[in-house]
Amino acid sequence: MMWKMKRLLAFFLLILLLFPLFLLKLNFAQEVMEEEQNKITQAEENAEKIVPSPKDIKESTGIYVFVAWMWIAIIVLIYILRLKIKEVDRLFYIRFFSAKKK
Amino acid sequence: MNLLGKKERAQSWFDERFGISGIVKFLREKKIPQHKHSLWYYTGSAIMLFFVIQVITGFMLIFYYNPTLAEANKSVGRLMTEIPMGWIIRSIHSWSSSFMIAFAFIHLLSIWITKAYRRPRELTWMSGVFLLGVTLAFGFTGYLLPWDDLSLSATKVGTDIPRSIPIVGVWVTKLLRGGEDVTGDTLTRFFGFHVCILPVFIFILLAVHVYLIQKLGMSLPLAAERRKEKVKELPFWPNFVYRESVVWLILLGILFTVAIFLPPSLDKSADLMAPAPEGIRPEWYFLFLFQILKIFPAKILFINGDTVAILLILLAFILFFFLPLLDNKPSEKKGKFITFLAYVSIVFAVVMTVWSLL
Repeated sequence: MMWKMKRLLAFFLLILLLFPLFLLKLNFAQEVMEEEQNKITQAEENAEKIVPSPKDIKESTGIYVFVAWMWIAIIVLIYILRLKIKEVDRLFYIRFFSAKKK
Repeated sequence: MNLLGKKERAQSWFDERFGISGIVKFLREKKIPQHKHSLWYYTGSAIMLFFVIQVITGFMLIFYYNPTLAEANKSVGRLMTEIPMGWIIRSIHSWSSSFMIAFAFIHLLSIWITKAYRRPRELTWMSGVFLLGVTLAFGFTGYLLPWDDLSLSATKVGTDIPRSIPIVGVWVTKLLRGGEDVTGDTLTRFFGFHVCILPVFIFILLAVHVYLIQKLGMSLPLAAERRKEKVKELPFWPNFVYRESVVWLILLGILFTVAIFLPPSLDKSADLMAPAPEGIRPEWYFLFLFQILKIFPAKILFINGDTVAILLILLAFILFFFLPLLDNKPSEKKGKFITFLAYVSIVFAVVMTVWSLL
């Protein structure tokens, strides 16, 4: 008798434990469905609006590398130009070209 | 030795035909004054830099753009999704136009504040104002070309504005639209303006403007000219060109970075029958005019409010165009008041722009 009672109690406990999970599962399924629905709507909206961006990881890496190299090249070029400016200014102030002309 | 001889022969061959040595001599002898306002000299060449970028990217875009009602939006979409790096080219074209207009405003305002338009440079200023007008027209016509909801509505509002001008207003609106309303004909017409008519105007005006600058030279600060001070000068080639190259490199870096990280999106194809979307707004450089029109009441006494607003804006532009003739005594009280007006105009335009964004 006691054994039967214990089995019944175990069964109810199991049900009690599983029921919320079952509910959760149902809820989760609903959420997933909503999520899927949202994704479809989003995809439909995205199909109408084009937001430009790199197509894949290869293209995005390429672009970031390009930007980095571009700025490095600009900094190096500015440094070289600074030296050139100093030099041409010096030649101008000592009237190098005017003297050469004479 | 043999190679050197060939190089010299080739140089003299070209020189005989093009007169290159004369141009180099002119550039070496051309002098640029150096003073505390010299920084503003770089804004002119910055405009030229962005203009050249506009032309190059414009040529690239025109290969893929189709100016028809059915294909305009799709062709821009294809360019952005299917053509390798197409979205970057479009982004550079779009951002470069904004940079060019921003620098054109800065350039003109700097000339206004430093009074560089004074005698004998009146025509240089006037050709510059025309150039600003043509640049803005480029921006206005280019805004419709992607043919999305926002560009259609903004063009409807923009082309409706001249209607309020008495006598010629309706005719101007029809001329711009190619009919009563904005349709596929307007798109074709705007494309024609953007790639054919306006470039002719801008090249002619640029030639006149650059010729006048070369002929008259750079203006000196007003105070230095009055005191007949000797201002330090540098040769255009190579001293000033090297300095300009530094500015160009920095601007190019900024342009490319902004274009890559903030590319303009493309909305769905415009529907001529659909109601206007919310938040219609022109490009940033027309926002202050847009806000001025918005704050005017519908009726002022018995006259249409829009007509009064348009006529006042037109009057302001006419006064702006003839500024060198009005400001004929730059160092006197009148001249100081006109400089004060320049600062007031800047504050007013900024406030109106911010207000329209709120």
